[in-house]
Amino acid sequence: MLSVKNLHARIGEKEILNGINLEVHAGEVHAIMGPNGSGKSTLASVLAGRSDYEVSEGSVEFFGKDLLDLSPEARAAEGLFLAFQYPVEIPGVSTTNFMKSAINEIRAYRGQDAMDAVQFLKMFKEKMAYVNIDQTLLSRALNEGFSGGEKKRNEIFQMAVLEPKLAILDETDSGLDIDALRIVAEGVNKLKTPQNATILVTHYQRLLDYIIPDFVHVLYKGKIVKSGNKDLALELEERGYDWIISALD
Amino acid sequence: MDYFCLRLNKMLEKTLVDSIKTIDSLTQAQQLALGKFIDKGFPTSKWEEWKYASLKHLNERDWKWSPEKLSVDFSKPQWKHSAIIQTLNGNTHSEGALPQGIALLPMSEFMAQNPAFDSVWKARNPILDQNSLYDLNEALVNDHAVLWVKKGVKIVEPLLHHYLVSGQQDTAVQSKLFIYLEEDSEITWFEQQRSESSHAILSNFVQEIWVSKNAHLTLIKDQDLQQSITHVDHTFIFQQESSLVDAFTFSINAAYLRNNLHFYIDGPQVVSNLNGLYIPGEDQLMDTHSVVDHRMPHSESNELYKGVLMGNATGVFNGKIFVRPDAQKTNAFQSCKNVLASDRATMNTKPQLEIWADDVKCSHGTTTGQLSDEALFYMRSRGISKATAQTLLLLAFVQQVIDKLEHEEIRAELSDKIVNKIQASLGLTLL
Repeated sequence: MLSVKNLHARIGEKEILNGINLEVHAGEVHAIMGPNGSGKSTLASVLAGRSDYEVSEGSVEFFGKDLLDLSPEARAAEGLFLAFQYPVEIPGVSTTNFMKSAINEIRAYRGQDAMDAVQFLKMFKEKMAYVNIDQTLLSRALNEGFSGGEKKRNEIFQMAVLEPKLAILDETDSGLDIDALRIVAEGVNKLKTPQNATILVTHYQRLLDYIIPDFVHVLYKGKIVKSGNKDLALELEERGYDWIISALD
Repeated sequence: MDYFCLRLNKMLEKTLVDSIKTIDSLTQAQQLALGKFIDKGFPTSKWEEWKYASLKHLNERDWKWSPEKLSVDFSKPQWKHSAIIQTLNGNTHSEGALPQGIALLPMSEFMAQNPAFDSVWKARNPILDQNSLYDLNEALVNDHAVLWVKKGVKIVEPLLHHYLVSGQQDTAVQSKLFIYLEEDSEITWFEQQRSESSHAILSNFVQEIWVSKNAHLTLIKDQDLQQSITHVDHTFIFQQESSLVDAFTFSINAAYLRNNLHFYIDGPQVVSNLNGLYIPGEDQLMDTHSVVDHRMPHSESNELYKGVLMGNATGVFNGKIFVRPDAQKTNAFQSCKNVLASDRATMNTKPQLEIWADDVKCSHGTTTGQLSDEALFYMRSRGISKATAQTLLLLAFVQQVIDKLEHEEIRAELSDKIVNKIQASLGLTLL
């Protein structure tokens, strides 16, 4: 579904992605790991369409469409989802209203009828159970005054509601205690189907104890320098990144 | 005054004097005001108080100074109201009967019935510095209407004021109204300011309000005029001991909209609440000049203003707070927050506090910013279009002011109007 070829991206003069190649198919879970500053979050942001980055070379196809040509909202409507490392506070807009707007705009994009209040209520109830999230949290202004765990849980709730074909989770484990991590990971696992795919961007192996990846890629200096299966993550946990880096430099 | 200015004012003088049949028909006060106006003309950007909102171009127009008479079938609101009062091109009358204890009468009759008030009224001393439009209004309006709310009369349902200006040619309309609330009285005055004309209309409205001891006024202004209109609203409120005024100004449409909203706190234990929202769009200018003059001790004023500026709009906020030497134990707060929803919009803010008393609590805060790119990206990444994301954020921003309105139907009506304006402006002007 996703085909990234020779992707280069930069902020100003600073080259951050330096020729990424990545193929993701339905049903797969990919983990992207790497030391700080290797370009992991940049890759997630570029795929979701953050305008701070300039793509200078390469291509990204999503179900055969040129992803880089689409606005962030069109990417979402095509089935891409980014769970933010730092979910943004949206004062004065509740999660419920936020999600209603999102759903109905996406439905309009796909040529579907808008959902009514009753349908929303039913759907929200169902999805709330998935991620063990409380109604009161959803009525509050989105992310405003939420704890780190509440923010991440809310991200997974949004993912459950939007049912993306490809979910990119950017450092979803950062700032979570072990219980919150388990709840979030369970949510992600429940949402997994043979039709969708997940990219986990993470610094630590910890998350991969709960969400088992099919592929593990190591990103360094804006390039994927090593790929393997879940055993690679365990090896990284044990030996760190140095052995890969020193082999390169 | 340079030659050019002089020549312009000569033209003003000629058309003005021509429109008045005989100068002798004017009262002495009118003649004095006329002279003052002709001397000064319309404000230009050289006048400090009109720096960003010059009306110099009005000097060059061939105005019709006597507006035509209007009669309008006014569609009544669905919600409960206690009376409808219309001011049509300066003429004020009531539609149907007024509630018990409320009268509408000319100023001369009101003064004849309240002779003791005359000297009090003359001593009220509003700040009229650089306000030639007040002079113009005074020169051309004689014996304006008074809405008189008698002692202890409390009316729960709003009184609806339908203010309308119109003209088949470029017309300068002067309107004036005096509202007198006696002791212990209470009303809600909901003012819909409207226009019906494609011509250049100068709508110059002076409203003075006397709020006696223990009286309570809720004043709501819904300013929604056409793009050809220059609307200047002077609302001067004089508050006596233990009175309460909740004022709301919703500035929604007009090419040029200037509010001179003044509060004169003339007694202790007074509470003055000023809430305002201005949302100018393409080719619109909205200017708020508020004055809160604490002349007596132990009173409180709270100002909450918000602005959303779209397209190439210009906004101005000047908030003056005076705390006079006698006004010890004053609490005065002012907040003015603005969002520039377009790269082409401008906002000029100037809080101005002058404090002579030493035992007071005053604070003010002014911010002007843009919608957060982070928030917009976050919303768009969920499938919400840029325009919808902007609208949601802006509506959340203005909600705080709208939510302060207690009257449910008026709140809903204004809220819809504001949503529509913001959506239309964002749709029309590509951001």
